Amino acid sequence: MNTALEGKIYEPVTLEIDAGFVARFASAVGDDGSFVPPTIVTAPEIVAGLDHLVADEDLGLVFSRVVHGDQEYEWLRPLRVGDVLVVESTIESIRFKGGHEFLTLRTEMRDAAGEMVVVARTGLIVRGES
Amino acid sequence: MSIRFEDLTVGLDIPPLAKVVTPEDIRAYAEASGDDNPLHQDDEAAIAAGFPGIIAHGMFTMAHLASCLVRWVGDPSALKRLRAAFRAPVYMGETIIAGGRVKSLEPSTRTVLLDVWVTVERGGTTEWPIKRSEAEIRLA
Repeated sequence: MNTALEGKIYEPVTLEIDAGFVARFASAVGDDGSFVPPTIVTAPEIVAGLDHLVADEDLGLVFSRVVHGDQEYEWLRPLRVGDVLVVESTIESIRFKGGHEFLTLRTEMRDAAGEMVVVARTGLIVRGES
Repeated sequence: MSIRFEDLTVGLDIPPLAKVVTPEDIRAYAEASGDDNPLHQDDEAAIAAGFPGIIAHGMFTMAHLASCLVRWVGDPSALKRLRAAFRAPVYMGETIIAGGRVKSLEPSTRTVLLDVWVTVERGGTTEWPIKRSEAEIRLA
């Protein structure tokens, strides 16, 4: 991967946590739908982060060798149905170690009022060709 | 039903939550999350990557861990932070078991730190799809 892209900020994506989305996601993860599943934010994170990484020709991420190593979410307030999240991803670091590449992506999600709702951090491992 | 901070002690195990992972679950998760990586949908792609067949999304397993924590706490808004380290794949038909143990208690902020994990029994050994991970819960 191109380490010059450390610090790159991708175009933010806006996504509403509407009732239908909550119902679908809750059903998929086995929750009863009476609350917004905390990890529903994986969906906006993929659109604002991973999808940009995969499409970024300057980065050179080989998606077929990507493994999800680590994931962290910090919820600064509970998610509510009707929240409109503005989601922005930044390449925090790109490292090489033991023949593999490691990319850390930080994604911030703010509500319509600009308040931070969720901070996500994703660690991707691109396995080396052995 | 909700837990009370005063009832917790360091070393307490939370009730584990088990789930059999089916291809239908993984298809529904791919659609709901937008993660359409072929490793989770296409046996040929998974085999080409060195797996015996499609594997569950790490985030599907992490969502199950979050469900386990929310059911224990009884209040989804109490979950403040969750970190997962993905250390083993999950295959179709396997049973994932989420669990956790209270690691520390901070009375001034009513914050609970837990070691959390997800295990699978495979061929007589315990595998750790999520290992040595951490959750932070703040009780009202």
